[in-house]
Amino acid sequence: MSLFDQETERYLKEFRPREIREFAVAAQGRSVLWTPLIAAAAVALCAGGIFWFASHASRYTNHVAYVQPPALSVTSGSHNRSIMSLTSLGFTDNKRLEARLAEESRKSLPAFQGEHSSLKVLAKD
Amino acid sequence: MKSLYEKHGAALAAYACSCGLDHASAEDVVHQLFAKLLGDKAFVPLSPLAYLYRATRNASLNLRRDRKRETNLERTDFWLVHPAGDQDEILYLQQALRQLPEEQRETVFLKIWSGMTLLEISEMTEIPLNTVASRYRYALEKLRELSANKGRS
Repeated sequence: MSLFDQETERYLKEFRPREIREFAVAAQGRSVLWTPLIAAAAVALCAGGIFWFASHASRYTNHVAYVQPPALSVTSGSHNRSIMSLTSLGFTDNKRLEARLAEESRKSLPAFQGEHSSLKVLAKD
Repeated sequence: MKSLYEKHGAALAAYACSCGLDHASAEDVVHQLFAKLLGDKAFVPLSPLAYLYRATRNASLNLRRDRKRETNLERTDFWLVHPAGDQDEILYLQQALRQLPEEQRETVFLKIWSGMTLLEISEMTEIPLNTVASRYRYALEKLRELSANKGRS
């Protein structure tokens, strides 16, 4: 480098850039940290909601599946048993069968003697 | 990043001013660049200082182009400081620096106000050392010429 260049360089170094305002590094860092935290919270909330919905839905479907089959099996079993006993009674004692049928019909068929029975109203007409 | 800002922030702002911005806008440009570097963790330039100088130049030129129709540059805006406080001398040098070609001006700022050697500048900018040295020499020569013209006028 020539003497002229060195002199010019010395001249330039007498000057310095004007100071600039402080950079808010802390604030920038804080905002950067918040972003993944908010994202993680949102993901956790979504996962919790899905889990809650899934557990409630499965509980409802389990309840229906559990209750219905035994009710059906009990009904059909007793129904089959009563048919068989009535059939055997029909072979052996016809009077007892009629008495049994009359008794059973009182339990299972609706009462036509009721005050608001539609059949009674129709019978009057 | 903070030390980079403290060490080179003022020089980068002055460099932005040499690209035609007023000092307040230059500060904004430098702040935005550092905020971008801090915010984007995935982006790590190989040479942060070289990136900052290039990004400062591009952002300054873009901003200046956008504002060209709106405002005229403030000719008495100081972005250099002199111990003697000679305002005319400061304004003269600022004007002279603005007249240098981009690559020569960048070399002068890196060498004089960012305190780098020509070899470091060469490695950082990935430009051959001879080219960097030539740019610096031409820049000093041009500044001397402008000074001589000023003396005559």
